[in-house]
Amino acid sequence: MKPIDVKEQPILSAGRVFQIALSGVKYRLFRAAVTVAVITVAMAFLMNILTESLIKRAVADSVREQIEDLRTVDAWIAKLSIPQTTEEILEQIASVSQSELDLHELVHMSGKPSEALLAAEPVARDALFYLRFFNDMNFGRRRVLVGSAEATRIFDHLQTPAAWQTFTANLADMHTIRFPAAVEDFEAFLAAWPDLRSLVASVRDGQARAIRHVQRNLGDTPLAQALRAADGPFGEVLREAGFALSERQAATLSTEVERLEAIQRIEGTINNPGIRQAVAADRDVLPGDVSMQLIWGLLRQRDRSEWFYDLMAEHGLNVDQLSPQRIEELAAHQGHVRLLKIAERQTTGAGGGFMDIGPRMTWLAMVSMLVCAVGITNAMLMSVTERFREIATLKCLGALDGFIMVVFLIEAGILGIVGGIGGAIIGLLLGFVRMLFTFQSLAFNAFPLTQLLYAGLISIGLGMILAAVAAVYPSMRAARLAPMEAMRIE
Amino acid sequence: MTATLPASPTIDPATSQRVIIRTVGMKKIYRRGEEITHALRGVDVEIYTGEFITVMGPSGSGKSTFFNMIGALDSPSEGRVFIDEVDVAQLTAEELAFLRCRKIGYIFQSYNLIQYMTALENVTTPMAFGGVSPDVARGRGMDLLDLVGLKPRWFHRPIEMSGGQQQRVAIARALANQPSILLCDEPTANLDHRTGDEILDILQKLNKERGVTIICATHDHRMMNICDRLMWIRDGGIERIARRDEVQVEVGSIE
Repeated sequence: MKPIDVKEQPILSAGRVFQIALSGVKYRLFRAAVTVAVITVAMAFLMNILTESLIKRAVADSVREQIEDLRTVDAWIAKLSIPQTTEEILEQIASVSQSELDLHELVHMSGKPSEALLAAEPVARDALFYLRFFNDMNFGRRRVLVGSAEATRIFDHLQTPAAWQTFTANLADMHTIRFPAAVEDFEAFLAAWPDLRSLVASVRDGQARAIRHVQRNLGDTPLAQALRAADGPFGEVLREAGFALSERQAATLSTEVERLEAIQRIEGTINNPGIRQAVAADRDVLPGDVSMQLIWGLLRQRDRSEWFYDLMAEHGLNVDQLSPQRIEELAAHQGHVRLLKIAERQTTGAGGGFMDIGPRMTWLAMVSMLVCAVGITNAMLMSVTERFREIATLKCLGALDGFIMVVFLIEAGILGIVGGIGGAIIGLLLGFVRMLFTFQSLAFNAFPLTQLLYAGLISIGLGMILAAVAAVYPSMRAARLAPMEAMRIE
Repeated sequence: MTATLPASPTIDPATSQRVIIRTVGMKKIYRRGEEITHALRGVDVEIYTGEFITVMGPSGSGKSTFFNMIGALDSPSEGRVFIDEVDVAQLTAEELAFLRCRKIGYIFQSYNLIQYMTALENVTTPMAFGGVSPDVARGRGMDLLDLVGLKPRWFHRPIEMSGGQQQRVAIARALANQPSILLCDEPTANLDHRTGDEILDILQKLNKERGVTIICATHDHRMMNICDRLMWIRDGGIERIARRDEVQVEVGSIE
């Protein structure tokens, strides 16, 4: 037999392969456009989720302080009415080294030196940690472990040797429970608990004393009204009683209280039939349809606020310290507060997960990736199967299996990049417009440009990778076929 | 396996021509679920260099399967195919690609041109696969297009050409790497009479002037006039092989 003089086929240069792939894409522009559309939609979905989440998170970060300010008044009224719960005090102690003010207040309330409080900080943190474990546990199991004790009473309960014995024995028997720390650590914590408990109790006593002191000073004045002078004499009273009140908090408190008072007065006008009818006539609606939101919207215009001010005076309402300008300001503030509340509602659950967009959004993004992987695989599979004849012909002409695979991978990559760019742009625009409708002016406050750029790059890269990965199987199948089998299938 | 093969001469003593394609007990079985189709039931045939062979047979006779086997486009279920004394079954994928690229030219009934390439690109693609530099390939491609009379239309894409022109491009493409074998599967079936004649002329010219071995499956009776041997395939086996002069005597006698 003659020796085999057949050699191996040379491998084509990358440039030539790319050229062939590109001319193929150009020729089947319509088919390619459909595939690109699939990728675009999938990537737009992903990019949309990323954009909205990132903007939401940025907005949440930027408004957190303002939202806290909104709550200051309520928080202080609560603080000045009854002592805090044990858990609240524990939380305060657990982060005492973070805030000079808290430390100061706790020292004053408990009458203990600041060293003692700082020393109690890690114990308090442990206490919260164990509390969370016991709170999350189901009732039956907790009952087996610690009897009927609840919350911090659990620690008290476990102080007796008998209870501790039962606890450890039962814990060892319950294989489905994984105690979050070593039992020895818990034992050490329990030894330190009585001291912490007495510290908490002394803080509570101190708070009760301080509240009594404040109330004595108040006399008959309602607390809310007194807080108007938080940046003045009443602030001094609070400090004297032992509450840590920073300058900023004092200023926020008095402006907020004042504003709330004015807002209440304006919102009270809705119950005045004369004003209600006047507004209804002005807006050309039925008096029953006049809402506070409508009035506030109206008052944002200067001429309407002037008109409203006169209206209030006309109807014999109290207009002390009000002016058209002030009313307009309040209306603008109400609009802002409404936005803040929307922002707060919309941004719950932001943070954590992939790119810090929240676990739910991460999950959605993953599902969208899955969907687009399936879509792209389908598109590529179609594109490959409808070209079996071409593949077979190329193989007859001496194309290597590798060449055919690479051509399809390059094609998929090109489509993926184009689709990814398109999807990133569409998704970004859609997400931004939607967020603009939701948050309005707040959306501009903190525009996360760099992160959005990252998200765009991720979408484009992912589109390309997904397309290429999705094309691997179909092109492998096409390349492996004997040429005539491929033609027969068609 | 090799030991059991009959010692077959590579030179036919009668004509002193070299054997270029030899099949030994070639069988092909297609399985689709329970159904088993015997497309070829053991074909032994020898084809010599420079021959023009016409393969005839009704559709479904295994003609195309036979073609694919000797063209190294498909592998037989049993038996062996030798192309230029090389056992096709022993070749790697890369070597098969090499063989298809340089030893064999294929011409199909439906032309099978690459739709997104111009005539010239279609002709030069096999050269590119064969490692010919683009400039040389371009020159050679133009020469080949000139040979089939399509030089002025080198930049046209397949959809811009008639069936005959497309088939001529396909012939030029098949000749790209100077193959010694040309396999034609019904080259004139989709063409009108006159265009078919042109194609036949070109094939005949190639056979006579360049000594290319041509194996042609066809229903076209004009082929009979230009071929050296005729082969009839029926039910997956060779019914008959005859020289042209023998057949023409028969045809004459019928008339």
